Amino acid sequence: MLPAVSPVVLAERVTKWYGPRRAVTDVSFAIAPGEIVGLLGPNGSGKSTIFRMLTGYLVPTSGRIEVAGHDVVEDSLGVRRAISYVPEDAPLYDHMRVGEFLHFMAGIKGLHGPKAREAIDEAAERLDLARVMELTTGKLSRGFRQRVSIAQALLGDPKVLVLDEPTSGLDPHQVIAVRDLIESLAGRHTVLLASHILPEIEKIASRVMILLDGVLLTSDAMKDAAHDLTLRLSADVTEDAVRRATKAIAGVHEVVADPDGAGRFLLRAEQRPSLAADLVSALVAAQIPVRELTELRPDLERVFLDLTRRPEAAA
Amino acid sequence: MRSFAVLLGKEATALFSSPIAYVLMTVFLLIMGYSFTLTLFLSHQPSMVHIFFQMFVLFMLTVPLITMRLFAEERKLKTLEVLLTAPLSEVAIVLAKFLAAMSLIVVMLVLSGAYAASLAWFGDPDFGPIYSGYFGLLLFGSALVGTGLLASALTANQVIAALISLSVFLLLWIIDNFGWLLPSPADTLVVNLSLSVHFRPFAVGSIYLSDVGFFLSVTLLTLLLTVRALARR
Repeated sequence: MLPAVSPVVLAERVTKWYGPRRAVTDVSFAIAPGEIVGLLGPNGSGKSTIFRMLTGYLVPTSGRIEVAGHDVVEDSLGVRRAISYVPEDAPLYDHMRVGEFLHFMAGIKGLHGPKAREAIDEAAERLDLARVMELTTGKLSRGFRQRVSIAQALLGDPKVLVLDEPTSGLDPHQVIAVRDLIESLAGRHTVLLASHILPEIEKIASRVMILLDGVLLTSDAMKDAAHDLTLRLSADVTEDAVRRATKAIAGVHEVVADPDGAGRFLLRAEQRPSLAADLVSALVAAQIPVRELTELRPDLERVFLDLTRRPEAAA
Repeated sequence: MRSFAVLLGKEATALFSSPIAYVLMTVFLLIMGYSFTLTLFLSHQPSMVHIFFQMFVLFMLTVPLITMRLFAEERKLKTLEVLLTAPLSEVAIVLAKFLAAMSLIVVMLVLSGAYAASLAWFGDPDFGPIYSGYFGLLLFGSALVGTGLLASALTANQVIAALISLSVFLLLWIIDNFGWLLPSPADTLVVNLSLSVHFRPFAVGSIYLSDVGFFLSVTLLTLLLTVRALARR
C-alpha cells in the first residue's frame, strides 16, 4: 500500500543479482516524508543490499528506485545529495581525528567555512562527541565510532537517512541514546533503518517492513499484526469450554492456553468493531466466570514468525 | 570544485602522512644519488641520460607501492561505501587519487633536480635532453599511476593490486624484445606497446608526438577504466 502523499523513497520491482546468486527479488515499497521505517530481517536477508542500492552504491539489476524524485541510476549524484548513509560497522578513516573526519565529510557534502563549522558543532552536540573531537577515529570505542558515523550522516541536513544496524555492538545505554536520537529525527528527516533485532526496531520505527531471503514479505508488519487481534482471557475453566463458547462467534480463529499462566487463554481473531461485545455475551451465556478480557498490543514477533515460516511450510 | 579540493587534500594528506612515501623517497634518492655519482665519476660527462633510465626502472618498481592502497584499502576498510555514497562523482574521486599520487611523483622528480642543478653548477650540461627527460618521466609516471590506480580499483587486497601493476609494467617494459620476433604487422603493434620504446627518445633529448600521445592515451584509458570499474558495481 503506497502512502497518500508523494513518497520520498520509491522502489519498484527491484531485483539484484550477485553473479549467479539473487540477493533481492522483486522488491517494491514507498516511504512518505518524515516516516521512520524499519527494515527487519535475519542476517543475509538482503537488507544491506537494498540500502546500498538506495544510496547509489550498488546498481539494481532490474527495477527502479527514486529518492527525492531522483532516479538512482540516471541521477545518482542527485540521490546522493538527498540521502545520507551510515553503513554497517561504521567505517571511518582511522588515521583522521574525529573533528578532521567531520570537516572532511562536511567538505565533500559541499559545506565549507562557517556553515561547515555550524553543522559539525550541531551534529557533535547531538551525538555528544565534544570530548572525542581530538582523538583519532581508529582509537574510538564501538559506540563512539557509531556515533561519529551517524554525526557525519547528519551533516548537510539530508532529506533521507539510511542507517544499517545502527545499534549493533552498542551497550544498553548507547542503544537508548541512539534510539532517542533516531526518534528525534522523525519529521525533519525520513529515516530508514535496518536491524535483525525485532524488539529494537519495534521500539523505534513507525512502520516495519519484513524481508526474508531477498523477498519483501510485508511493507507494514504492524498493520498486518493489527489485522489479526489477540485477546487474553482469564477464567477458571478448561480450554475446551472456552473453545465451545466462542465457536459460534464470527472471526475467532484460534483458542490456545496462554503459556504464561494457568487459567489464561489467548484468543486470536479478526479485527472487527463488535468483537469484544460478542465475546463477552457468549462467555456470559456459557456461564464462564470471566476475570479479565484484555486486547493485547499487535504482536510483531508473531507476524514476523508467521511470515518467515510460511515459505518453509509451503516448501 | 571546493569539494574536489577537500577530497584532493585528504588524499594528499593520507599519502604524505604515511611512512611509505618517505621510505620510497629515501630509497629513491639514495639509489639515484649513488648511481649519479658513480656515472659522473666514471664518464666525466655532464649528462643525465643514465639517470633517466634508472628513474624509468625505479618508477616501475615504486609506483605500485604508491598506488596499491588507493582503492584497495578503501574497499577493505569499507570507507569506499562512505566515499561513493557521498555527493561526489566517480570521476572526481578517481582524479583526486590520481593527482595525489602524481604529487608524490612530482616531489621525487623535483628532489632529483638536485642532480641537474649540481651538473649546472659544476659543468655546462646540454639542458635540452634534461628538460625532455623530465617531461618524459612525468608522462611515464602518469601512465604508471593510472595503471596502478586501475589495479587498485579491481581488488580489496593491496598486495594483489601491487603485483598486478608490477606485472603489467614489467611485461610492457620488455615486450618489444618479443615483438621483434613476430611477423608484420603484429611486430609493430606489439613493439609500440613497449614502455621503453616510447621512453627512450625522451631520455636522449627527442620529443615525438607519438610518444607523448602513447603515455597520455594510457593515462586517459586507465583512468577511464578505473571510473568504469567503480561505477560498475
